[in-house]
Amino acid sequence: MARIAGVNIPTQKRVVIALQYIHGIGPKFAQDICTKVGIPDKRRVHELTDAEVLQIREAIDRDFVVEGDLRREVAMNIKRLMDLGCYRGLRHRRSLPVRGQRTHTNARTRKGKAKPIAGKKKTS
Amino acid sequence: MARSVWKGPFVDGYLLKKAEKSRASGRNEIIKIWSRRSTILPQFVGLTFGVYNGQKFVPVNVSEDMIGHKFGEFSPTRTFHSHSGDKRAVRAKPAAA
Repeated sequence: MARIAGVNIPTQKRVVIALQYIHGIGPKFAQDICTKVGIPDKRRVHELTDAEVLQIREAIDRDFVVEGDLRREVAMNIKRLMDLGCYRGLRHRRSLPVRGQRTHTNARTRKGKAKPIAGKKKTS
Repeated sequence: MARSVWKGPFVDGYLLKKAEKSRASGRNEIIKIWSRRSTILPQFVGLTFGVYNGQKFVPVNVSEDMIGHKFGEFSPTRTFHSHSGDKRAVRAKPAAA
């Protein structure tokens, strides 16, 4: 069992893949960490020595913002926009798309599941 | 695409003059501007601008956080319409049908 950066316990997988289970670490950063610590591509998590696990942990602590800290940072950025009263903030407040997408149709990711309109008859 | 850094921030020149003049006069009155495209600069902090949205001048009190944004971002040009009675309408529908 390897615990890296809080609660993440990915095992059995290759290190490059397993590291991506951490929020804030994707393919690029996982590769970066592996090359920095000097772990070969094929190594699996359960084959890591304690020293290597420690090195990985240190590398992440030093260079990356992950998990809770990252989520907090993102939430803070959004909150800043909302408090500012700028256009992007207003869009966040109404939970509508922020970057100028159309809302006549689509935009369901931001708007959530479609709500039925009162009084609209179904065409059969 | 983001603007090249080497160009520096874009500001309509006359805004600088307007801001300076109002600073000098000392009165805190609304500076009416039409230039929604101008970046908010550090020297505008503390002043109140009336940013035109095509219909009226929306008062914008410039704070430190706003630096780097454009004036137009703080003066919406569209009125937001929503269905305020959405929840009630959804509940009423099965009864009517």
